[in-house]
Amino acid sequence: MSRRFAVLAALTVVCAGVELVAGRGMSPAVVWDVLGGGGDTTERHILFQLRLPRLLVALGAGACLGVAGLVLQSALRNPLAGPEVTGVTPGAVLGAVAATGLGLAGWESPLAVVVAACVGGCAGAALLWLLAGRGRSDPAQTAVHGVLVSAVLGGLTAMVLLVAPGELGSVVQWLVGTTEGRVWQHWHLLWPWALAWGAAAWLLAGPLTLLRCGDDIALAAGLSAARARALALLCAVALTAGAVAAVGALGFVGLLVPHLALAVFGADLRVTLPGAALVGAAVVCGADAAAQLSSRLLADALDSGRLTLPVGALTACLGAALLLLVVRRAPSRTF
Amino acid sequence: MTESVGIRAEGVHFGYPGQPVLRGVDMTVEPGELTALIGLNGCGKSTLLRLAAGLLQPDEGRVLLAGDDLARLSRRATARRVALLHQSAPAVPGMTVRQLVRQGRYAARGPLGMLREGDDPVVRRALRDVGVEQWAERDVDALSGGERQRVRLAMALAQDTRVLLLDEPTTYLDLHHQLDVLQTVVRLREERGLTVVMVLHDLAHAARFAERIVALRDGRVVADGTPKEVVTPGLLAEVLRVAGRVGRDPEGGWPVCYPDHPLPALEYENHIH
Repeated sequence: MSRRFAVLAALTVVCAGVELVAGRGMSPAVVWDVLGGGGDTTERHILFQLRLPRLLVALGAGACLGVAGLVLQSALRNPLAGPEVTGVTPGAVLGAVAATGLGLAGWESPLAVVVAACVGGCAGAALLWLLAGRGRSDPAQTAVHGVLVSAVLGGLTAMVLLVAPGELGSVVQWLVGTTEGRVWQHWHLLWPWALAWGAAAWLLAGPLTLLRCGDDIALAAGLSAARARALALLCAVALTAGAVAAVGALGFVGLLVPHLALAVFGADLRVTLPGAALVGAAVVCGADAAAQLSSRLLADALDSGRLTLPVGALTACLGAALLLLVVRRAPSRTF
Repeated sequence: MTESVGIRAEGVHFGYPGQPVLRGVDMTVEPGELTALIGLNGCGKSTLLRLAAGLLQPDEGRVLLAGDDLARLSRRATARRVALLHQSAPAVPGMTVRQLVRQGRYAARGPLGMLREGDDPVVRRALRDVGVEQWAERDVDALSGGERQRVRLAMALAQDTRVLLLDEPTTYLDLHHQLDVLQTVVRLREERGLTVVMVLHDLAHAARFAERIVALRDGRVVADGTPKEVVTPGLLAEVLRVAGRVGRDPEGGWPVCYPDHPLPALEYENHIH
């Protein structure tokens, strides 16, 4: 197990390294030089004030989404659950966009964005909970209702954008999910939030592992399943809201990462929750690096210097492909 | 009998809106006894077992465990005293046998105790009790039906309770594995002095392995006694709605049923007794 952690950590470090050199205008040699204490003021500014916080925010948001996804899938016993398809992410986006559009929050008051995203995420999850009704325990029904809820929330977000287009520039970033332009302020807000709720999620690892066995077994083994599930959902919503407030609705990370983490670390969540955090960090960081590299290639090919590919577009494509795989082999057997 | 671990249902009523399930059940299970619950589908035997495990609360009456009202115990406190093996369980993707059996320790260890490393001796003993140590690191979902049932029995045993409730533990198993599971239960009960209540579909198993048979019909107890007293052609007709004969096993002496054909369902189901 510790070897798997070591391999993944090494992979994350490699992704982080690529991310640091992937941007335009600085060769790897220059980056190395700046890291060693050299470089001129501009280069130092780019690396330490732009690229480093962006890297950290990508790592943190990825970890949040990975853990949130695993918590959701375990608490709902649903391999198709993820913050994106259970109304949590679209709700958080709506919250953030609405608060910004109404002038309650913005770049000057980033904490308000987190709170608004959290409220929105809770509302989205609650909406799904009410809509799904008795079909809650059925993964397929939850997925269908999740699509409905996501569509409705997405529509509401679009309405807010039409009514209050003033802050449009910053708002669009939440819709796709991007690490572009993330600075130390975002990181300072993200890490305590992620750490606190991540720790809370880990403390629930025992009950969550038991919830994976099904409510009947969990209850017979002495777990108050409904209470444990409510606490777990709270953690998942808070973690998702933190990530959405920092980088926006990164598509499918929360759905994809838990499957990778479970495949690597197994079903004991004491190990797999930290594992999902690491996988999530590696995936988002790697996708961001890949997005930057391909932006450079695309920009050269298309001869448009300002073209940038948002990382959310990349994770959405990757995640959709994986979702297809999961749907094809979702287990429905009982014993 | 309030000081030892027996179970007692007193005037238990339970139902869902518009659908009564149990209509006044009185039943006493003596400490250390092996009791079989029998009856047709929907007669309320599984419901009675869930009430005895504290998973449901009676609408009227009460269920006592060693003299304590289950309604006053928390879920975890109840699970420290009673283990229930459900009839079926969903798949648990990626979970190994040892991990699943370890989940049985939740009631004893609590949410934070489960975070600590290591199995306790109870988990090792439970794996040994049902003979699955050699598969401990295999995936539960990769096992055969009979093997999985033993693993689930081990999870219930890991709760280390004095009372073991089994809801049709032999469903879906072939005869070999049915006897395997039942013999394991009988052996452990003798070794540990467990109180065991099983819902059984197969009257042959009930007549052979149980010391006492409680028959339910329409949410009421209609027969209660040793297999020799209870298993009669009358019981076959009244409780199981089949016509048949009853003989004796030539070596063991326990009743053996020879069911013949099903009887038509009665119109006034509620007034049989």
